[in-house]
Amino acid sequence: MQTTFTGKPVNRVDGPVKVTGRAQYAAEFSTGQTLHGVIISSTVARGRITGIDESAAMQVKGVVTIFSHKNIPTLAWLNFSYWDLAAPPGKHFRYFQTDEIYFSQQPVAIVIAETFEIARHAAALVHITYETLPAETDVYASLHKARKPKGSRIGIKKPKSRGNFSKAFAASAVTVKAEYRHGAEHHNPMETMASTVIYQDGGKLVIYDKTQGVFNSQQYIRGIFNLKFKNIKVVSPYVGGAFGVALRPQYQLFAAVLAALQLKRSVKISLTRQQMFSLGHRPAIVQQLALGASADGLLQAISHTAIQETSRFEDYVQAVVNWSGMLYNCAHVQMDYKLVPLDINSPADMRAPGAASGVFALECAMDELAYQLSIDPLQLRLINYAEKDGVSGKAYSSKALKACYLQGADKFGWQQRNPLPRSVKKGNKLVGMGMATGIWDALSIPVRAKAVLNAQGKLTVTSATADIGTGTYTIMSQIAAETLGLPLDDVTFQLGDTDFPLAFVQGGSYTAASVGAAVQKVCLEIKQDVFKLAKRIKNSPFKQCSLNDVVFSDGYIQLAGNRSTSLSLASVMQQSKTDRLKNTATALPNALQQMRYALNTHSAVFVEVEVDEDFGTIKVTRVVSAVAAGRILNPKTARSQVMGGVVWGISMALQEESVTDHHYGRYINHSFAEYHIPVNADISNIEIIFVEEQDDIVNPLGVKGVGEIGVVGVAAAVVNAIYHATGKRIRQLPVTLDKLL
Amino acid sequence: MIPTAFDYQKASTVDEAIAALTDGDVKILAGGHSLLPALKLRLNQPSKLVNIAGIEELKGIKEEDGEIVIGAATTYHDIVKNDIIKSKLSFFSDSASRIGDVQVRNHGTIGGSLAHADPSADWTALVLAADAAIEVKGKNGKRRIKATEFFTGLFSTALEEGEIITAVRIPSPAEGTKTAYQKFPQPASRFAMVGCAVLRKPDGVTNIAFTGVSDNAFRDAAAEQAVAGKPLDDATIEAAANAAAEGVSILSDHYAAADYRKHLAKVYLKKVLHAVA
Repeated sequence: MQTTFTGKPVNRVDGPVKVTGRAQYAAEFSTGQTLHGVIISSTVARGRITGIDESAAMQVKGVVTIFSHKNIPTLAWLNFSYWDLAAPPGKHFRYFQTDEIYFSQQPVAIVIAETFEIARHAAALVHITYETLPAETDVYASLHKARKPKGSRIGIKKPKSRGNFSKAFAASAVTVKAEYRHGAEHHNPMETMASTVIYQDGGKLVIYDKTQGVFNSQQYIRGIFNLKFKNIKVVSPYVGGAFGVALRPQYQLFAAVLAALQLKRSVKISLTRQQMFSLGHRPAIVQQLALGASADGLLQAISHTAIQETSRFEDYVQAVVNWSGMLYNCAHVQMDYKLVPLDINSPADMRAPGAASGVFALECAMDELAYQLSIDPLQLRLINYAEKDGVSGKAYSSKALKACYLQGADKFGWQQRNPLPRSVKKGNKLVGMGMATGIWDALSIPVRAKAVLNAQGKLTVTSATADIGTGTYTIMSQIAAETLGLPLDDVTFQLGDTDFPLAFVQGGSYTAASVGAAVQKVCLEIKQDVFKLAKRIKNSPFKQCSLNDVVFSDGYIQLAGNRSTSLSLASVMQQSKTDRLKNTATALPNALQQMRYALNTHSAVFVEVEVDEDFGTIKVTRVVSAVAAGRILNPKTARSQVMGGVVWGISMALQEESVTDHHYGRYINHSFAEYHIPVNADISNIEIIFVEEQDDIVNPLGVKGVGEIGVVGVAAAVVNAIYHATGKRIRQLPVTLDKLL
Repeated sequence: MIPTAFDYQKASTVDEAIAALTDGDVKILAGGHSLLPALKLRLNQPSKLVNIAGIEELKGIKEEDGEIVIGAATTYHDIVKNDIIKSKLSFFSDSASRIGDVQVRNHGTIGGSLAHADPSADWTALVLAADAAIEVKGKNGKRRIKATEFFTGLFSTALEEGEIITAVRIPSPAEGTKTAYQKFPQPASRFAMVGCAVLRKPDGVTNIAFTGVSDNAFRDAAAEQAVAGKPLDDATIEAAANAAAEGVSILSDHYAAADYRKHLAKVYLKKVLHAVA
C-alpha cells in the first residue's frame, strides 16, 4: 500500500514534551491555593473501625479537616451510581462510607491540609482502632469454596464447552494432566494514581485525573455526587503508564472530589507506591489442564479449569480458559471457570487480562504433551493448527499465525534445537529453547472524533481517548496527516478531555482501530468539505473536477494528471474567506460483518534461557516474538508496545509476585525494593517481527492493535525453555531460583 | 549528601597518627572508599579525620624471618603487581585484581579493609586462609593479633581504642602450597555475596575461610577437617561441602536469603577445592 505516514516508524509526536518535562501529569496541575490530601489506609484486612482519634492531628497547624465514615455526607444509595465502564458485576465499593473493613489497606480516612507535608505528618498522628476479624486471603487454601461467577461483564464471554471431553480423554493414547499456578501481580505504573480537583466558582469542577478514560471518571463522579455533567470537566492529557489500573476510577479521585465539594476548595491527592498495592491486581489463579492426543499428536481432548480469587463484593471475571477452545483444532473441549471470594480488593484488568494467565497454562501443557509424544513442540502446534475459531465455529477475518510460527522459528534458529532436555551446555550453564503461542482479541468500539481546519491550513483533531504511553497521539496524527495529505507538523491531535467527542476507556488493544477509524472518517469529511470550497473559489482549476480527479499531498490539492496545477489548503481557506472548517464523525464497527468472523491477533514466541546449575540463576538470553496484528500503523511505537509486553512476560515468568502474609492478610512486598520487576541488566536481546497480515474485514484501517498481544505466551515460552535446559518442569510462577535448586 | 564538619590532620609517621587518636570519635582515613560514603550518609560523624595514607613506613611488601609482610597502607593495586605476592600468595593478587573498580584498587588499602571488617569484604577471608597475623600499634606499643581472633562481629574487630593496624604478616607458604579464592560478586559493587578462600599445604592441611556468609569472615573447621590430609577427589570435596557453613548464623538480605547463601557457600567451597586439587 502506498502511504505517506502510516506504516512508517514516525517518532512519537509527544516525545519532545515528555523528555523535556513539559508534559503535565495529573498531580502536576495546580492553581494558587490547592489543598493537599493524604489517605490513611486500614492496617487490618477484615474487621471494623472501633474508633478514630483525630485530636492530635487536628492540632497541627495547617490541617484543614479529616474525612472518614464518621463525617462524610450522605451520597448516592443506588449500587448503579457506583458503577463504572470497567466495573465487574457485584456491589461496587463505597469508599469512606462504612466502618467495615473488607481488605488490607482499604482507605479509611482523608487528611486535608495546606501542604502535602503537613497532611502527611498529620496522617501519622491519626489514631485508628479496629476490631480485627480473621481474614481469608489465600486462594490455594480456599479452593474448596470455588463457585461459579455471578452475573456477567461486557465483552467477557462465558466459556463454552463442546463434544465429550471425558470419553475422548479416556480414549486418548497420550495424555497430560497438570496444575499451574501464579500469584497476584500489581500493575505499578511509574506514575502513581493522582487527581487534582480544581474547584471553580459556581461549583464547577475541573479534574486532572490519571485515567484511561476521562468519560469514565466523569460519569462515576456524577453518579455518586449527583452533579451535572456540564459541571464536571475531566482532563488527562498524559498518563505515566497504566496497564489497566487506571481503567476504573480509583479512590483518590473520589476522595479529592469529596473534599473539594465539601470545602469548596481545590484539592490534590496522589497515592503512595505502597497504596498502589491496595488497588486492583492480576488475580492469583490455579489452573488445571488435561490434554489428550493420538499417538501421532492430534489433539483429542482439552480440559481447562481455572479457579481465581476475587473480592467479597464484586465478582471480577476475565477470559482465562476461553483461549483453550480457540487455539487448536480439537473436537472435545471442556472449560470451567470459578471464583473464590476472599478478603481482598477486587482484582482488575492487567495487560492481556485472562489471556496472560490462561495461555500460560495451556502452552505449558502443550509443551509437556510434546515431550510425551516425542514431537517437536512447534510441530505439535502446526499439526493441530486451527483454521477456524473452535468456540464460535467462525472463520477468522485473518490469521497469519502459521507465518508467525515459521518466520519466528527461522529467525530464532529453532531448527538447530536439540530436542533432548539438558543436551546443551555453555560453560557451566545449561542452555534451553522454548516456544509458545499467543492470542488476543481484535476488537473495535464506537468512537467520535472532531476535526477543525483553520485558515492557515492546519488541522486539529480531537477525541476523548487516552494515550497511556502506547502512542495514540502519534498514530492518530499519522492517520490524519495521511488522510488529508498534510505535513505531519500541520496536524495536532488532542485527547483526554471530556469537552472532546466521546471515546471510551483505552484498553483491550482496540484504540488504534477504533479511534483510528473515527479520525480517518472525520478527516475524509473535511477533505470533501475543503474540496467543495476549492471548487467554488474564483478561477478555481478544479471547477470541473470530482474528488477522484485530485490528490491531497503535502498541504496542497493537486490535479492528479498534472500535479503542478495545485492550490494549497491555506489558500483555499483564505480565498473562500473561510475561517475554519469543522466536522464531527462517529465510527461504528461494522457489527454485521464482524459477527460473521472471529477477530483475533496471534503471536509465536521463541525464548532461549541459560540456567546456571550451581546458582539456579536464570537468564533469558534471546527472545523472538513474531506477531500477526493486521496492519501496523507505526512499526516504531508498535515494536515498543510488543517489546514492553515481552519484558512483562519475562517478569511474570521469573520475577513478579505480590506476596501475602496470610496472618495479617496483607501484601508484604509492597514497594519497588521488594516487588521485583526486570531492570536493564535482566533483559537481553528481544527481536520483534510483524508478520504481514492483510485484513479488509476487521475494520476500515485493517488494524488489529498491539497493546496486549506482546505479553501473551511469553511466560509459557520461558518456562518451556527452562524445562528444555534443565529437565525440570516448574508449574508455579514466578520461577525463582529456589525452585530449581 | 554532605558529611558533618570535621577537622583533618595528615600524619607523616605512625606515632604522630597514634598521638592524634586521643579522642574517642577521631577516625583514621586510609583509602577512604568505605569511610567517605559512611560520612556522606552521616552514619559516621567524627570530629576529626587522621589521614595515614601518606605514611611511608606503612607501605610496601617485603619478606623477612619467614614471613611476608604487607604494610597496612599498601594499596590493592600495589599488591596485585607485587612479585613476591604473585609467586607465593597468588590468591592475594588474583582476588585483589577483582575488587571494586580501578579507582578503588588504586586507593583502597589492605589495612583499611581489615579494620573496617565489612562482612562481604574479600581481604577478610584471604588473610584468614593465609594464617595471617595482624600487627597493630598503640600508645602501649606493638602487638600481634591472629587473623582467627581479629574479626569479632559485624564491622567489629579486636582492635583497641587508639590502635592502628601497621602490617599484615603471613607465614611464607612452603613450596607446593596451592591457593584459590572465588566469589559470587554483587553485580554493582563486586563485594562478595559469598566468597571462599582456600590455602592447601603440601601435607594436605587445608585452610578454608568464608566471607559474605555470616556477620564476620570465619574459618570453617568442619570443612577443613573433611579434607585435611586426604586427597581432593569428588567424594572428599562433597563431604567438605556438606560440612560447610553449618552451625553459623547466616546473613539474609535483598540479594540472597539465608538458604541461598548457604547453598552458595557450598557451591563456592567446591569450586575452590577443585581449583587446588
